[in-house]
Amino acid sequence: MPEILLKNVTKKWGGFTAVENLNLEIEDGAFITLLGPSGCGKTTTLRMIAGLETPSSGEIQIGGKVVFSSEQGINISAAKRDIGFLFQNYALWPHMTVYQNIAFGLETLKWKKPDIEKRVAEMLETLQITQFAHRYPSELSGGQQQRVAIARTLAPSPKVLFMDEPLSNLDAKLRGEMRTELKRLHADTGSTFVYVTHDQLEAMTMATKICLMKEGVLQQYDPPLKVYSLPANRFVADFVGNPTMNFIPALVKKTSDKVAQVTMLGEKFDFVSETPFDIAEGEATVGIRPEYLPISDKGEIHGTAYSTLPAGMETTVKIKVGDTILSSVMFGSLDYATDSDLRFTITGNMILLFDRNEKCSAHGTMVKHK
Amino acid sequence: MAKNNFSNRVLSYFTKPSNVIVVAFLIILLSCIVYPLYSVLNLSLTVGQMDSLMYNSLFGLHLKKGDFSLLNITMLMFGKFEKDYSISFFWSPLWNSIRMSVYASAIAVLVGGIVAWLITRSDIKYKKFISAVFVFPYIMPSWTLALVWKNVFANSQVGTGVVGMLESLTGICVPSWFVYGIFPCSLVMGIHYAPFAYILIGGILRNMDANLEEAATILKADRWRIIRKVTLPIVMPALISTVLLVFSSTMASYAVPVFVGSPGNFYVLSTMLRALYSSSYSGQSYVMTLVLVLIGVGMLSLNQAVIGKRKSFTTVTGKSGQVSYVKLKGNTVISVIMVVLLFFMAIFPIFSFALESLCEVQGDYSTLTLKFWLSRDPISGFHIAVGEGILFNPAIWKALGGSLLLSLVVSLVVGTSGFLIGYGVSKKRGSRAATLLSNVAFFPYLIPSMAFGSIFLAVSTKLLFLRGTFFLLVLVASIKYLPFASRSGTSAMMQLSGEIEEAAIIVGAPWITRMTKILFPIQKSSFISGYLLPFVSCIRELSLFVLLTTSGTLITTLLSYFDERNVVQMSNGINLLIVLIVLIVNFTTNKLTGASIDKGIGGN
Repeated sequence: MPEILLKNVTKKWGGFTAVENLNLEIEDGAFITLLGPSGCGKTTTLRMIAGLETPSSGEIQIGGKVVFSSEQGINISAAKRDIGFLFQNYALWPHMTVYQNIAFGLETLKWKKPDIEKRVAEMLETLQITQFAHRYPSELSGGQQQRVAIARTLAPSPKVLFMDEPLSNLDAKLRGEMRTELKRLHADTGSTFVYVTHDQLEAMTMATKICLMKEGVLQQYDPPLKVYSLPANRFVADFVGNPTMNFIPALVKKTSDKVAQVTMLGEKFDFVSETPFDIAEGEATVGIRPEYLPISDKGEIHGTAYSTLPAGMETTVKIKVGDTILSSVMFGSLDYATDSDLRFTITGNMILLFDRNEKCSAHGTMVKHK
Repeated sequence: MAKNNFSNRVLSYFTKPSNVIVVAFLIILLSCIVYPLYSVLNLSLTVGQMDSLMYNSLFGLHLKKGDFSLLNITMLMFGKFEKDYSISFFWSPLWNSIRMSVYASAIAVLVGGIVAWLITRSDIKYKKFISAVFVFPYIMPSWTLALVWKNVFANSQVGTGVVGMLESLTGICVPSWFVYGIFPCSLVMGIHYAPFAYILIGGILRNMDANLEEAATILKADRWRIIRKVTLPIVMPALISTVLLVFSSTMASYAVPVFVGSPGNFYVLSTMLRALYSSSYSGQSYVMTLVLVLIGVGMLSLNQAVIGKRKSFTTVTGKSGQVSYVKLKGNTVISVIMVVLLFFMAIFPIFSFALESLCEVQGDYSTLTLKFWLSRDPISGFHIAVGEGILFNPAIWKALGGSLLLSLVVSLVVGTSGFLIGYGVSKKRGSRAATLLSNVAFFPYLIPSMAFGSIFLAVSTKLLFLRGTFFLLVLVASIKYLPFASRSGTSAMMQLSGEIEEAAIIVGAPWITRMTKILFPIQKSSFISGYLLPFVSCIRELSLFVLLTTSGTLITTLLSYFDERNVVQMSNGINLLIVLIVLIVNFTTNKLTGASIDKGIGGN
């Protein structure tokens, strides 16, 4: 039911365009993350859907009902959009106890007192904060405040839940735990979640679909793994994944409809795609994820170890080839002496080719000329 | 050995500049507060000239001026003589003071709070204009509006029979209660302090995370429920402090009740105090001083008690930058009403003073003349010697020079002290000495100006070398204006992390260099505000100085002199002069350095 639809939504502040002509369809029960660097318009988008911000133009529907339309002059207030909103800084009311904070929304809905008590107790139980019911927010730790905020938001059982970087004020360990629990909550409640973050890992691990934005413009809207392996352009490829994708300057020349000759790293390669593609002859960029550059004695490309960063489970090796520094990620602990010679290969069929406009033209395998 | 160890520890304690500052200020301030309070207590138990005559004739005693007696207190509180002495000289003025302060605080907080909400939370138009002009009534002397009130509403039917603007233009004579008494006193004081409330409440609203209100919106609370359940409780501590500060200030005010109270036989504690003192009932006047001090102290204790700790603000850094303004219904109408109101509160007074100073016959606008400004010969036609026109009157220039010099010296002393106290308190934050110092430095605020003047008058009767000196005025004003300077200095210093100074210590910069080259410049506008506020307050001050000096010394006392003798052209002209000086100083300082009155009070 609560499918969310954005049509040509634009938000301007004076001469500055925060969000430009955004079209988005969020399915019922989805977990969507709005991802992008700070200032990309993701929070503005979320606030517009929630009704906390008024778009300059466009139309927004929630569950088939038009909640905003610049043409029809409709603007339903946030209070009437049947949503929940989790703020980055929790926005707990300092003068109310945990219990009062959670009960507030239910009192507004004129629930009966026993029902309120029951529901609040239930929420306290779910989020494991029963013992704090009569404390004030200032007497709780950050993680506990976060739980109270979630309980307060979930208490009226909203069908749609908006979250604005809810984990960014927590320490790394707690953040990891909360990710797990939020994903669990999503499954348990069956509500639609829309989640703003600038942390690509958070988006990758939690979302059913990522909406990646840059300077107010939608870049890609796809499931996380597709965004990861088939980014629409170089910006998306660069933003998602850690360590970031290797971008290697290259010269390309089409030799058949599925093959192009690529010159890079001082060598010649054949780029072979499964589907026909187009790319202009001349300068282009080859994108390779670090895991597709395995180091081995049988590797066909020569380089030197620029520096090695073992992390226990995996090791990032920075390889110097000519003037280019490449990242390679290997499973397990490795250590290469600085400046020692090593050899590596380009593997897999997810090597990307970006044209001069940084758009992804094709993906395929890279075969070195013998 | 142990002794040596102790003296070493003392020595090393005082090698830190912050320790020296805290201890030095504690000693100075405590002696400037404790000794005077002791003097007042002492003097309230000592009979004055007229006190003794009165008691002797009533009770057949043989008291002389200077004798010890409890009669000052009993007479004032319970005495019955010529009907109800205590009621007309103490209880009724006290009741009037309290009523006036309650009404004025209510008006100030209501008006200031609404404007603060409109500016920070709604999409009202002309925000810049409104927020700039709305502080005028606070920057201008408090009696400004009282004088305007008189200029407009005085009429031939009431008081001295001077014809005001309303009567002269329309012939309407408003009733006496409208011109003099509790109504105009409360209204004028309320409007004078409304900007003060606006600055304090607006500061809180601006700092308050807008998400707190949005969270309630999302949970389907309507606008009114949000204000009632979320906004109000959160700004409540600030609201209560504002009420108490305004209440104390109004209790203490002297000028307004003199201008629009006394002519209608409306007396409050401060005006009665002055009347008793100038008729040599000094013993009773000091009892009254004591009462004013006690009320002030009571207010502070109340303030501390009301602001609970448990519900304190959780300051989690958030992005409250994205505030969505509430859409006002009838925005244009409200905006226009605001602008019109502001015109009458802030701009009209200036015209009014100019106009009144140009009337040969009061209230008759067909008799315009420039002689009260430009006459090089003494102006005749009054029952007192008026002297030359304002611009060529040596007495006025002398008084103006005196006021400017005094304000300059006081602002230097207070601003610097505020900066140093801020430094000392922030360096030693959490320590008992620092907490004591910041409380002691705020204490003078609670003592009404009139009582403060009276206290130091008491001191000067003991320490005769101080009597009537310029130094005494500087001392009194410096202590009186220290509270806000030390408060804003402390908050500015608290915002600087200790590492900023430590980085300079490591490269070997001496203390003076660290202060002048590092700390002061970083928070320049806040610290300069600490100089600006005392200057502005001092140049327009009347009640603090009225007991301590003669009418010719300062421009405000001279103004009061002319007003009390009904030379309204001169008093209006001089008032215009003061208002213009204050506004010009305020705006040039603001443009040049970014300092402002708001920052001086501790707003944002």
